[in-house]
Amino acid sequence: MPEHVVSATAFNYRYPEAQAPALRGLDLELEEGSFTVLAGSSGSGKSTLLRALCGLVPHFHGGDASGELTVGGLSVREHGPAELAAVCGTVFQDPESQVVMGGVRSELALALEHRGEPAAAVARAVEEVALAMGVAHLLDRRTETLSGGELQRVAIAAALAGRPALLLLDEPTSQLDPVAGDELIWLLRRLNEEWGTAVVLAEHRLERCLPAADRVVAIERGTVACDSSPADFLAWATAEGGALATPVARMFSLAGLGPVPATVKQARESLRATGLAAVGAPAVEALPEVGARLPWRRERRPTAALRARDLWLEIEDGPQVLAGVDLRVEPGERVALMGRNGAGKSTLLRLFKGLQEPTRGRLECAGEVALLLQNPGDYLVHDHAAEEAGEAALAAAGLAGRGEAHPRDLSGGERQRLALEVVLSGGPCAAVLLDEPTRGMDRPHKDALAQRIGELAAGGAAVIVATHDTEFAATFADRVVLMGPGTVIADGPPAEVLAGGWHFSTDVARTLGGAGGALTPEQGARLLARELVG
Amino acid sequence: MSLVPVYRRRPSPLHAASAGATTALCVSLALVCALYDHPVVVAAVIVAVIGAALAAGVGSEIARAARLSVPLALLVTLINPLVYAEGNTLLIRGGSVLGHRFDITLEALAAGGLAGLRVAAFVMPFALFAACVDPDDLLRSLRRVSYRSALTAALATRLVPVLARDATRMGDAARCRPHPPGRLAVARAALSGALERAVDVAAALEVRGYSAGRRSARARRSLSRHDARVLAAAGAVALTAVFGKLAGAGSVQSYPRLEITLGPAELALSALFLVAAALPFAGRSARLGVAHA
Repeated sequence: MPEHVVSATAFNYRYPEAQAPALRGLDLELEEGSFTVLAGSSGSGKSTLLRALCGLVPHFHGGDASGELTVGGLSVREHGPAELAAVCGTVFQDPESQVVMGGVRSELALALEHRGEPAAAVARAVEEVALAMGVAHLLDRRTETLSGGELQRVAIAAALAGRPALLLLDEPTSQLDPVAGDELIWLLRRLNEEWGTAVVLAEHRLERCLPAADRVVAIERGTVACDSSPADFLAWATAEGGALATPVARMFSLAGLGPVPATVKQARESLRATGLAAVGAPAVEALPEVGARLPWRRERRPTAALRARDLWLEIEDGPQVLAGVDLRVEPGERVALMGRNGAGKSTLLRLFKGLQEPTRGRLECAGEVALLLQNPGDYLVHDHAAEEAGEAALAAAGLAGRGEAHPRDLSGGERQRLALEVVLSGGPCAAVLLDEPTRGMDRPHKDALAQRIGELAAGGAAVIVATHDTEFAATFADRVVLMGPGTVIADGPPAEVLAGGWHFSTDVARTLGGAGGALTPEQGARLLARELVG
Repeated sequence: MSLVPVYRRRPSPLHAASAGATTALCVSLALVCALYDHPVVVAAVIVAVIGAALAAGVGSEIARAARLSVPLALLVTLINPLVYAEGNTLLIRGGSVLGHRFDITLEALAAGGLAGLRVAAFVMPFALFAACVDPDDLLRSLRRVSYRSALTAALATRLVPVLARDATRMGDAARCRPHPPGRLAVARAALSGALERAVDVAAALEVRGYSAGRRSARARRSLSRHDARVLAAAGAVALTAVFGKLAGAGSVQSYPRLEITLGPAELALSALFLVAAALPFAGRSARLGVAHA
């Protein structure tokens, strides 16, 4: 019978100066070699639990802890992070803040050197972990030259170099594009299976990591609300209102189908078993040709909100970032700008705002352009939220009465809403541009953002959102522009661009094979209900 | 693109040698610039560094650093005749302000030029150092002296560009606001962001066992053929420079008349520096990857 690598009994923790405890009465046991996903909304206590498991809570952050929590047999109240480092490796959200050395080889060696391992053992461990994590080709690279995905892999390799029994990861994919995020999850599953390392992974994008998990622990208000297999967790999550359920699970629940599937593959098999195989048959539809006459397009007005004509941006001694982009966005349109990392999405937004100049081409804007860049915290420079924007803006951000709060004390979602209102505070805008606004955001916050985007569009502003999140794009957008390297490669309504896509597609569309252009759980459920009645 | 060279591993004898050996060569070349102001000797150091950089595959990095040093050298050249009115050959008679005469002499101008050349030359070995020496390797060897200082230096090396990117991002965000905040507010926010990042880095160090208090002994590494050649070159440059200076070679007198001796001693010194700097790259054993499948 497997031993417990983590054992918690009535564990409580309260941050210094906090009124309420962040963890309360926590009971939890995790077996050696298990792959556990921590689910929960923002502020539920997932990150605090991870910080308790690695000893940062209470030794680094201070505060009051009571009850019992042991990791690898060591009590976290008696043993600090340095001692627990021999048992567990930890990887945080932002790879930039956890890679501390200039070279990859030195980074991988650091933890072992702190443990006083002999030089030969350090060299061997570095070599082995680099090969196991697929970063051997990066060993002689400088860390500042690595991409976000490479940096996160190096951080995980550094955490694993000492062969810990437990690996803790706090939203490690939130800064990565979907391809790098998916690769990372499957890499974690492989090392869990091959090395027997227990993995505890906190994530918001559950549809990405549930297929790899043995078990899901849902945390709500600092305590365990559900602890079960992925399938049972999804049944619980849909019964609880669906905030934590995957899109496919929500579709099944809305259509009254059961049992709730944990993966797209299981969903397809379930549909076949129900006699709905025809719904799941792939729908082969050509993507709309760029520049072709598009019957779905809104009636063109004399003045576009934004227009780019033959836009080029070439970096001196560097790559061609944009290569002849033509794009016209009408007032009131809600556009999802999609494409892989480096396709030029962010650059295009920066050019529209005037933060950069194009090498060639013309840009036209019908009025003011508001741009919210990727890190909302960068906009908040004062000591009080009220100094950032007026009372009306605070109310619009849902922060009425919290004007005295320091912006850094706000949650990620609150910072995002406040920063958006700050850029909108100059008066009516012809266009509102948002760059990756849903990174690390849970579903209720995404729904709230989609609603705000709808309000802005209804007010006449063109809204362009650069995003990797296909589920979010399907929720808010009435047009999807897909960029290849520096050019627009597809442009059409979401049902056409996303339903027939391979990578740029939602889980619902993948499950239904693109049938009926259904992208969201609600659309998929309506389609399934029609098929069931028929 | 950064004007300051950044280390990238390349297949060259200077990169293959240990950080200590390559540092010794760069320091010895800088020592020549510190000891001599003879233009031929200083020019020989510049040529030696450029040759070594080209042979090591970092020519473009050194060229960028050289471009950085030119304005500095020009500044020194122009300021010297304004502050020194000595010298016999008067070029421009200036006025007198608060009892100080502003005459410009040929000797002061020439001395400024020599000082400027020296400044430019002084930048070159350090640029070669930045491009060819792995900072992590160098810091690892310094850990025996002070582990915490070495780690602090490593963190600073790593975090300075990260913080610079943070500050640029915050500047962009400020430009996106309808009413951009003052520079002081942005600077304060950038500083507080830097402190927040520092806390995150401290947490990352903690979970890597920093406070465990144990440290690995440094691996013993035998001298490679590249170490031996680079150290020999460094020794040759340093010893030649010191003995040459003690022997009075390469002397320059700027005032009252400019006197620059150019004899066999200066030519021999310059030639020796050039040959010594080329030593790590000479011969078959300096080549990397000589085996054939």
